[in-house]
Amino acid sequence: MMTAELQLLWLALMLYTLAGSTAIGSTVLARRPERIILALMIVGLAAHAASLGLRWERLGHGPFITLFEILSSNVWSLLVIYALAYWRVPAVRPAAMVVMPVLFIMMAWLLVTSPAAGHFPPTYRTVWLYVHMLFGKIFLGAVLVSVGVAGLILLRHAGLAAASLARLPADDRLENLACRFIMTGFIFENLMLVAGAIWAQDAWGRFWAWDPLETWAFATWLMLAFFIHLRVTVRLEPRHSAALIMAVFVLAFLTFFGVPFVSTAPHKGAV
Amino acid sequence: MELSQGKLGAAEVQGAWVAAAWVRRLASLKLTLSVFALLGAAVIYSYSTAGSTGWLMAVPLLVGGLNLGAAVLTNPVFRRQTALLTFHLALLALVVLAAAGRLTYLKGQLELAEGEVFTGQLAQVETGPWHRLQLESAQFVNDGFSIRYEKGVRRAETRNAVRWLDEAGHEQRAVIGDNEPLVRQGYRFYTSFNKGFAPVFVWHPADGSAPRRGSIHLPAYPIHEYRQALDWTLPGTQVALWTMLQFDEVLLDPKQVSQFRLPERHTLVVRVGEMRQELAPGARLSLPQGVLVYERLSTWMGYTVFYDWTLPWLFVACVLAVASLARHFWNRCAAQPWDR
Repeated sequence: MMTAELQLLWLALMLYTLAGSTAIGSTVLARRPERIILALMIVGLAAHAASLGLRWERLGHGPFITLFEILSSNVWSLLVIYALAYWRVPAVRPAAMVVMPVLFIMMAWLLVTSPAAGHFPPTYRTVWLYVHMLFGKIFLGAVLVSVGVAGLILLRHAGLAAASLARLPADDRLENLACRFIMTGFIFENLMLVAGAIWAQDAWGRFWAWDPLETWAFATWLMLAFFIHLRVTVRLEPRHSAALIMAVFVLAFLTFFGVPFVSTAPHKGAV
Repeated sequence: MELSQGKLGAAEVQGAWVAAAWVRRLASLKLTLSVFALLGAAVIYSYSTAGSTGWLMAVPLLVGGLNLGAAVLTNPVFRRQTALLTFHLALLALVVLAAAGRLTYLKGQLELAEGEVFTGQLAQVETGPWHRLQLESAQFVNDGFSIRYEKGVRRAETRNAVRWLDEAGHEQRAVIGDNEPLVRQGYRFYTSFNKGFAPVFVWHPADGSAPRRGSIHLPAYPIHEYRQALDWTLPGTQVALWTMLQFDEVLLDPKQVSQFRLPERHTLVVRVGEMRQELAPGARLSLPQGVLVYERLSTWMGYTVFYDWTLPWLFVACVLAVASLARHFWNRCAAQPWDR
């Protein structure tokens, strides 16, 4: 069963790579094979979902424990959210130039990570795990889409893919779109923190204890709140706004994927 | 701010204008940004520093609370956008509730042997300055536990049977553990990973006073598997005893799924001064001060206890905050299509 899981995962990663490369190439070359790209993403997501489902069935728990599981499930959820945005908001489509390389990095990281199973702690047997994870994944996905759009503004200012990017909406409209996604992300970050606090209260007898993951999640919240207030306080240029969105994503990314695997006590009492 | 010259004197009007100007200054968005930056710095500093740094976060939170309060009073945006106002008021309520919670909270630890009643005594306790201890009204009995271990002695489910008398004097029973605390009089009792063996003794003093029954809690098992010994003193005497539990069985086999259980055969080694004796259940140890009877081997469970009356209100404030924030963003985003 493990072989089938990994084969399906490899198939999904190849399809994602093909979709991403086509999306990047078509943006640079000003072509629009958008249906093909979306179809590749959807088939890849289906294969990846099957791989995650097989693993879930084999281990008896969801992909929430090891770095391999967290990377794999996040590549899937981030791509689901990006594919949805790609389908519904055409202005987001060229953002594949930024979004897909981020996902390529995560995929490469996933490939060098051990797929061995981890211990599923008893405190993870609660519906709040799923609620917390779901909100967290939507938060990161929305921020990633925002980063993709913000990246287009920065790429245009850097003079890259000039012909293709020149046809996109003006910077202020792109910035507005990026901010919509980041505000959506902010709502889901709040939901993620609340769900996590409820879970922590039941599991470990405290709703907040400033453990490393909580501290960095709060720092991300503060940075997002700072950005939203800065935007209404001073008239930010789109490229400055875009740079701040990038910084928010870097902090959120490090909180999601760095802290739990660097700190020995990401959530004290979790195991 | 509207002021009536007819009702107030000139000095009072001027004072009111100065106050209003200060409130407007306090409501500055630039101050909000500074508060976020300060709070961020305080969080990172507290994270990287050992010791109590709560005050460091209290300062920006206090300034932030004043800033937000002043903004709600003076910024017309809040009067035009109800959802935004609700979100910020909910945020203010969260800060106030969190502060109230810190002043009145209780965090503690206790251990109970099987069959033992919790009478309000904590092994460790930490409280806010305004907490009024009422733990004696939160009595319950530990009726024993079961813990499953996966291969590799990895702890899985913990199930702890407890019972108590409700306000009407009726006996209530529940099974707690993992994600299910026992909530009594606002105190939330959680099973912890600390648990172990508890030899039960009856001490018959030589002076003829009433026998005393009790247990000692050996170090937590399996974390201190090879240190199942304890120094203790007989009640009402100066007699120091060293007691060690001995058994040959593998209770938790790393190669298979297992359950926490008592050993089928065991002895208790008791050392008093130069005297050493191995006791089986029911054996007696005669001393000049009295007779110690080793009754049986039992278990103890460690609990953490937490009290914070603000928890349901914090939840309400959080729900209100997120719902109003979502409503505010929806109002803003619905005005223009995303794909414009």
